[in-house]
Amino acid sequence: MSNRKRQPRALYLAMVPGLVLAGMFTFYPILAAGYYALFDWSGFNSPKMFVGLDNFARLMTDPFFWGAFQRSLIFLLGTVPLQMFISLWIAVLLNNQLLKLSNVFRTLIFLPVVTPVAVIGIVWTFLLSPFNGPINGLLLDLGLLSRPIDFLGSSDTVMPSLIGVYVWKWLGLTMIYWLAALQTVPEDVYEAAKLDNCKGGRLLLFVILPIIRPFALVILLISAVGALNVFPLIMSMTNGGPFFSSEVIEIFIYRSAFATAEGTRTQLGYAAAAGVLFGLLIMMLTLLQAVISRRSGKKS
Amino acid sequence: MSSHNQTSNSRRRFIKQLAGGAAALGGGAALSPLLAQSATTLPPAINTLTPGSVLRWIDSGDQKAVFYKAFFQQYAQDRGIEVIYDPLPWNEIAKVVPLGVRNKTAHDVFALPQNSNPADAVSEGWLQPYDDFIPDIESWKAGFPEGAFLPGINVFDGKTYGLPFTSNKRSSTHLLFNRNYLQEAGFDPESKSLTQSDFREAARKITENGKGRYFGFILGGNQIGRWSAIVRDIARLSGASAGADSVVEADIDFRTGEYTFDSDQYIEAIELLIALQKDGSMFPGVMGINAPQARAFMPQGAAGMILQGPWNIPAWESQNPEFDFGIGSAPLPDEGPAGHLTIGQGAAAPNTMWLWSGSENGAIAGDIFHYLGTLQGQTAWANVVGAGDPPIMPEAIEKADMSPRAKAVLQLFNEQIRVGPNPVVGTPALSSVVSSFQAPDLSFALTVQGLVGGQLKDVGKEMKALKTRYDDALNQAFDKARANGSDVSRDDLVFANWDPATDFGSKHY
Amino acid sequence: MKALLNWPRRLVFGERKPTRGVAITSLLLAALCCLWIYPFLWMISTSLKTTGEIFMGTGLIPETPVLDNYARAWTDAHMGSYFINTVLVTVGSLIIVTVCTSLLGYVLGRYSFRGKSLLIAAFVATVFVPQGFTIIPIFEMLSFFKLSTSLWGLTLATSGHAMAIYVLLFAGYFRQLPDELEDAAIMDGVGFFRIFWYVMLPLARPIAVTVIIMQVLHAWNDFLLPLVITLANPAIRTLSVGIYAFKGEQSIDWSGMAAASTISVVPIVLLFILLQRYFINGLAGAVKG
Repeated sequence: MSNRKRQPRALYLAMVPGLVLAGMFTFYPILAAGYYALFDWSGFNSPKMFVGLDNFARLMTDPFFWGAFQRSLIFLLGTVPLQMFISLWIAVLLNNQLLKLSNVFRTLIFLPVVTPVAVIGIVWTFLLSPFNGPINGLLLDLGLLSRPIDFLGSSDTVMPSLIGVYVWKWLGLTMIYWLAALQTVPEDVYEAAKLDNCKGGRLLLFVILPIIRPFALVILLISAVGALNVFPLIMSMTNGGPFFSSEVIEIFIYRSAFATAEGTRTQLGYAAAAGVLFGLLIMMLTLLQAVISRRSGKKS
Repeated sequence: MSSHNQTSNSRRRFIKQLAGGAAALGGGAALSPLLAQSATTLPPAINTLTPGSVLRWIDSGDQKAVFYKAFFQQYAQDRGIEVIYDPLPWNEIAKVVPLGVRNKTAHDVFALPQNSNPADAVSEGWLQPYDDFIPDIESWKAGFPEGAFLPGINVFDGKTYGLPFTSNKRSSTHLLFNRNYLQEAGFDPESKSLTQSDFREAARKITENGKGRYFGFILGGNQIGRWSAIVRDIARLSGASAGADSVVEADIDFRTGEYTFDSDQYIEAIELLIALQKDGSMFPGVMGINAPQARAFMPQGAAGMILQGPWNIPAWESQNPEFDFGIGSAPLPDEGPAGHLTIGQGAAAPNTMWLWSGSENGAIAGDIFHYLGTLQGQTAWANVVGAGDPPIMPEAIEKADMSPRAKAVLQLFNEQIRVGPNPVVGTPALSSVVSSFQAPDLSFALTVQGLVGGQLKDVGKEMKALKTRYDDALNQAFDKARANGSDVSRDDLVFANWDPATDFGSKHY
Repeated sequence: MKALLNWPRRLVFGERKPTRGVAITSLLLAALCCLWIYPFLWMISTSLKTTGEIFMGTGLIPETPVLDNYARAWTDAHMGSYFINTVLVTVGSLIIVTVCTSLLGYVLGRYSFRGKSLLIAAFVATVFVPQGFTIIPIFEMLSFFKLSTSLWGLTLATSGHAMAIYVLLFAGYFRQLPDELEDAAIMDGVGFFRIFWYVMLPLARPIAVTVIIMQVLHAWNDFLLPLVITLANPAIRTLSVGIYAFKGEQSIDWSGMAAASTISVVPIVLLFILLQRYFINGLAGAVKG
């Protein structure tokens, strides 16, 4: 692009709407939150009190912040690989030209994606209920269980249940991305593979995956960003409970900012600091991951 | 831009029509008899009102909404003034009201969010007094029982801000039970109140009889405040002397000024809940359901007992007339006399209504406030709202037409509930401590939830640690208040002359 | 008779010769799909039951279908108007997002100017910031512009809230495009915006479709932002918030909620089934090209 000579003035004009929008809703809020993070501020009409980095110092030793941070990472690591692999597998099956029903299957699997999260929260809370919930009912009838599991009410099962529901909800979208990627694989690649008698997993792993690798990275990025924004799902299903067991970072921030517990007050400054710190930590992890993958890429 | 605004306006109108249609369709049949019995004639207006004005009113709805919807309809007919009524859950009020005040679009009359403090709301300019909108307000106020209007609670600098028209004498943890199940289990809480051991045994038997179809005890364990409320009240009935349940008084023994978390009574109450869980007598999934869900399971016959509030009575009687339920006391101690429940003020704080500082409809609000504070208005209220939010005037309760269950539960409240000291009345400067208090993350409610759910193990140890955490939090709040210039100390929380069995009146301060 | 027997075969295999592989794959996927859409079947079934019957734990087929639930959901929960609000917000934000991010992405991807790498770095940095906590400044700002209780404010905020990733997607895609077409147009003296609109944007169709899909899903599912903005003005609630509010704090109306959920899901599902060819093929086919 460096050979581009002309710099039309329209260039700057073209950026205006996007920059205004980004300035208002992407950059300003983050800067403002960074500013609030320096105050002891309960929000709304009350006075702000400058406390410097005190909020951050408090976060460093706040076990609830780190617990929530850990759960966010668990959620990320639990959902993204599952979502990526299962959807790739289904996409490969659906990509079969001979499969007449592929459109129908595709539509059905995509249905949860277009369903509002609030609806999903309501429906799954009922499905997973230990009292007359259909899932427990089935497991009991099959003799796989002797007493119902309280999926959302017990610390051991709440995160796996939420991960399951999340994957169910978003799998269809990842599948569509994979399908789009798979269509970029030229027909003759399959023909050549057939001649070499390369099939199934090997075909996927050694022939197809390298071709669609650039897509895979984009899909990974989109899925990871999605998995960090799970607020609505967890809010409508567990509120972060029981006993903090599903309190991911967004719920922690919401709880601090809007004071949902008895006897607590809104702490907007602290909540903002938690958001900033979490953003920084995630950015560091992303950079670290990028560096590592670049290195290992160079080696091989 | 303008076209969009039009859409949103027409949207609003559209929705209003929809809502009107809903009331006509669904509520019409139910509302008209209520209308007939609640307020056939409104008294003449006390102020000159401008017909065509619109007043906006927001509160937490529930059974109150039944009264207001009918009353405001009649008010509109009589006075030519439209009242837009928005009943919303508390968690929404907590956001709507502060945002409205901030945006200068607040409702004219609102309930204050539960985590905000009237003193703060006054000092931050949210509210205006209504003395000027009720002619001869002193004689009107004299019609209220003693302790309804209190400085630091709803009166500030000698001006009247809050309308304390419903009674605080109610408990959110009394027993509601399925008569058939309890009878099958061999208990009759209506003739003899259940002790803690009875309660455990009854829950176990019900569960056994239920064979997986129903269970002994249910609560909305996801709504964590239920855990603390239940433990606190069971412990009080066993003799733990703990103050009322708002910040700076909850769980404090006013005779010493110390927290009572590690008292035997609190520990026993928690152990009772743990025992229910161990016996398998708790409804499966209590940790995942909130209070309304738990309440909805009762008329469906999914559980035998719940510790909840009187607002269930009118709701179940009207919506589930075939459901045969009884009411009783929360579990009493196995030995010794039953203690008392303590409230901090005569009027129910959540139902106290306030006039927004930016409202230009003070005359209308004054007219409505006045009516709600007369015997006629109080009786009309009691006829509809019943035991859920009883009126503050005892005469209105006597005159009102209420179901036997409602009368029984109000009788129980009279026996068990006493007005305790209210530190803010004694020392108004304490309101700055209330504003500064920040409960620990691992709060009382969550500790109980964790102990019952098995995430925390040792009850005694955890409750000791809890006491330390709350002591630290309270001391910090005091430090902060003193740093801001308030002359307060923890001695202000001590009322050595307090007897939990008698009402603490203004002469005792 | 023969035609009748033939029909399922044609459905599964079309005009081709049946093979075992296709049969097994079809069967497997059919089983998976049944499981997949069970929650929807359950929801519809519940919406037709009485509350009592739900708790009885009977099967999927209601004893006597009750349509009353729908009447209640429609009037009490205002599902109809919430649906229109959601559509307005979604379509509005879609237009704003596509215009803003494609133009910005085009400039960032194909032109160099001072501060460009800094701007790109700034966008990258924001991608991973959780959106939850930025809600407070956003609300403050909307209040400042007197937009905090209007559909406009909601639409704008919904547009701007997740745009960083779209800008990066557009920029990345435009960067890869060959120069020839654009250069030829510049030679012919075609203006900047005309080049963008008639030459470059059509080339970027795959990314445009991706961004459109992501934004529709974002707007349709967004929860916290509409929750906060519509608190003071329930008339502009969106579906997500409306259904959540229906949960209430004082009573639970399971069958009404299921009916409201069904009302909110059915139109978008129908829309999706009707348009899915364009929706998916647009994305997939375009990526190929």
